[in-house]
Formats: sequence, C-alpha cells, structure tokens
Amino acid sequence: MINVYEAVDFNKRKSWLVIAGFVGFVFLAAVLISKGLAAYYGYQSTGLELTGIALIISGVMSLASYYWSDKIILGLSGARLADKRRDFQFYTVAENLCLAAGLPQPKLYVIDDTAMNAFATGRDPAHAAICATSGLLSKLNRTELEGVIGHELSHIGNYDTRLMAVVTILVGLITLLGDWLLRASWFGGRSRDSEDRGSGAIFLILGFVMALLSPLIAQIIQLAISRRREFLADASSVKLTRQPSGLISALKKLSMDKEPLEAANKATAHLYIVNPLKNRHDAIGWFASLFNTHPPLADRIKILEQMS
Amino acid sequence: MSVSLIFLIAAGGLVLYIIAVYNGLASMRTRIAASLQEMGNQLKRQFELIPNLEASVKGYLKHEKDILTLLADARKLSAAGKDASAKIADLLPKLQIVVESNPQLKGSDVVGKLMEELRDTSDKIMYSRRTMIDLSADYNIQLVTFPSSVIANAFGFKPEKGLEVPEDETKTPKISI
Repeated sequence: MINVYEAVDFNKRKSWLVIAGFVGFVFLAAVLISKGLAAYYGYQSTGLELTGIALIISGVMSLASYYWSDKIILGLSGARLADKRRDFQFYTVAENLCLAAGLPQPKLYVIDDTAMNAFATGRDPAHAAICATSGLLSKLNRTELEGVIGHELSHIGNYDTRLMAVVTILVGLITLLGDWLLRASWFGGRSRDSEDRGSGAIFLILGFVMALLSPLIAQIIQLAISRRREFLADASSVKLTRQPSGLISALKKLSMDKEPLEAANKATAHLYIVNPLKNRHDAIGWFASLFNTHPPLADRIKILEQMS
Repeated sequence: MSVSLIFLIAAGGLVLYIIAVYNGLASMRTRIAASLQEMGNQLKRQFELIPNLEASVKGYLKHEKDILTLLADARKLSAAGKDASAKIADLLPKLQIVVESNPQLKGSDVVGKLMEELRDTSDKIMYSRRTMIDLSADYNIQLVTFPSSVIANAFGFKPEKGLEVPEDETKTPKISI
C-alpha cells in the first residue's frame, strides 16, 4: 500500500534528480565539446561563444514548437472540438476533474480514429488542450475515462510540455555542438599556428569522445525524464480521482489495443497516455526499454495496484 | 566581503521568505473560501437540475414507482439545500436494472441521459468537496510544519476546520435490489 501523496512526492523528487543530472551532463558535455572545438581551431578562446550560438539555434527551433505546440499538433492530427451534447462523458469528466485539480478548463478535442489514445498539450494550463480519440471515448466507461483524463490533466498541471520543451532544447544544443566538432574534423585542416600542446590535445580528445557519445546519452536521459513524468502523471491522476481501479482497467484495455494511431509521430509520442506508435517490442528487455518514451504498461499497472 | 554586507543579504533573504510564506497562506485561505462557494454553486446546480430531469422522465417511468419516489426524495433533499448524492447513489443501480429489463427504455435515450446527468451532478459535488478538503489539508500542514509554522503563528493564521460531514452521511448506504 502506497499513500498517493507519498507516491506523488516520490516521483517529483526523483524526476527533479534526473533533471538536475541531465542539466549537469549537458553543461559538462557542452564545455568539453566547445573546448575541443576551440583547441581544434587553435585560437585562444574558451569556445563558449559557440555554445551560445548552438543554444540560440536550438532554442529558436524548439521555441516555435513550444509556443504553437497546441495548434501544430491539433492541426496535424485533424482534431475537432468536443461538444457537451455529443461527447457528454468526455466533457463532463474533464469539467469535474478540473474542479478537483484547480485548473482552468482546457480546450477539449476529439480525433476520429478507432485506435484508443489521448494526449495533452499546451505551454501552460491557460493554453492547454486535451485530445482523445473517439475509439477511447466509446470503449471506456466513466470511471476508466476519469483515470485517463486525470492522467492528462496532471501532465498539464505538472507543466510537462514546458519541461520537455526545455529538455529538447538542451538535447538539440548538444547534438549541434557535437555535429560541428565532427564535421570540422572531416573537412579542412587543423591550423598549425596554434600553441596548444598540453591541455589543448586533451580537450581535443575529450571533446571528440563527448561529441560522439553525448547526443545519445542526452537522448537516453531525456527518455528517462519522460518515463518518470508518466509515473508522476499516473500517481497524480489517482490523487485526483482516488480510484486507481479506473486507471488500471483503462490501461489494461489500452494494452489490448494494438492499433497504431496514424496522427501520432515521434515528436509527440511522449504526450500520449500510452505510446501511440506501438513499435515497442516487449521481449527485448532492458536495453530496448532505455529508448521508450513510456514505462511498460505492466509496470505502471503494478504500481497503481499498490496504491489501491 | 564585509560582515555587515553578509548580514544585510541574509536579512533580505529572510524578509523575502517571510513575505512568500505570508502571501502563500493568505492566498490559500482565499482559495479555501472560494472552494466553499464552489460547493454551494454545485449544490445550486443540482437543485435546478433534478426537477428538470424528473419532469423529462416522468412519462417514461410511470410504472416504476420506486424510482420516481427516490427521484422525488432527491429533489426534496436538494431543495432543502442538502447534497442528494447519497440518494442518487441508491437510485443509479436501480435505474440500470430497470433499463436493462425493459427493451423500450433501453432504446430510448431519455433514461440513459438521466443516468448520465445524475452521475455527473453527484460527481461534481464530490469533486468540489475534495478540492475544499485538499486545500484545507495543505493549508493546515503549512501551519504545523517548521519553519512556516513560526510565521503563521506570528501573523495569527488559524487552522481551517475543513469539511464537516454529517453523522448520517458517514454510514455506508444500503443498496437493496
């Protein structure tokens, strides 16, 4: 038996720990790669201005998707606005849970697709939207739907869109910097008039190693953050509804559904309640699980069962 | 760095912390008051909703005396400003059985709509109560945990009573089928 409040606090602490580790790693990698770049070009600089340039490029690219994420994703997935008469359960469940969570009511959308899924998006609670497929709405009963909508509302309340946007910017930064160093070594000779014999060479080697490895490591940590936020959203959902059974049976129904959702893609996968791409191979185990946006459904169900 | 400067910075930090805790407690108190109003708002909604629902299904359920009586009881309760959720919890399983044993009712959307609306209104009241309970608990925790308790005491913040549940509502409702 796990207390809901403790479960929420535990997941919050743990995800901040992962995020702190991530920021630390990105900082270290950025410093080492840019030192490597500086050593490579042989001019006396810290190379940190390159980090600044990479941050700006990565930031501008992600900022657009952050500000217009709701419109872009909803446009892509061809969603229609939910209507109180037509989608009574969806509409009223969202209304009631917003009351409990103390959030403004998000815009509600329905995608006409028989695959079962739902996602939340928007940069803050005031600009949030929740989208559910018609398959989900027709196959879940009210208690199960409360669990799913509670999960999505918790993503909104926990600012997960904002968090993942920041994380994506940092992953982009590392990928860009690493790419520059590797490209620079591909083309063009190294300037000979440099005075770097001692520390320069070390930074060059370290920078190369980091340039090769860090984009991958950064992505793995990004996915770990995403999985931790899923556990947090599950726990927060139970805190809202106090009925773990609803979310458990919803997740069980969702795990039976093998149909991939056409409207989803890699960029939006972490927003959904279950991985919409269904490209997971459950048997491969630990290594493959490093690359999943969502924790395995069996694990999520097991933890929820401990709360009931 | 001189000692007085360090002292000044520490004092500034302390003042900012006190302001933050004070504002947090004061706004929480306001939110608790608002959540009480929201509960009243939902009770009023129920009070307006049930007579309408009753009128719309009366014709369909004229042979189901039990259900009409329960519905009338629920209406009277909410007219007296009380929460009719317990009555509704009694009513819903019975309605379900009536609908399933009666193909004509199953076909018509009216009774299904009634069940949805009844469940929704009792959910709304339950969730507005939960907001009130959760907010009071968060507020009371701040009042008894260190160091916010010191500030709360200094400014005379009083603990919130939370929600008082009447004696008869704490019993498990009997469902007789």
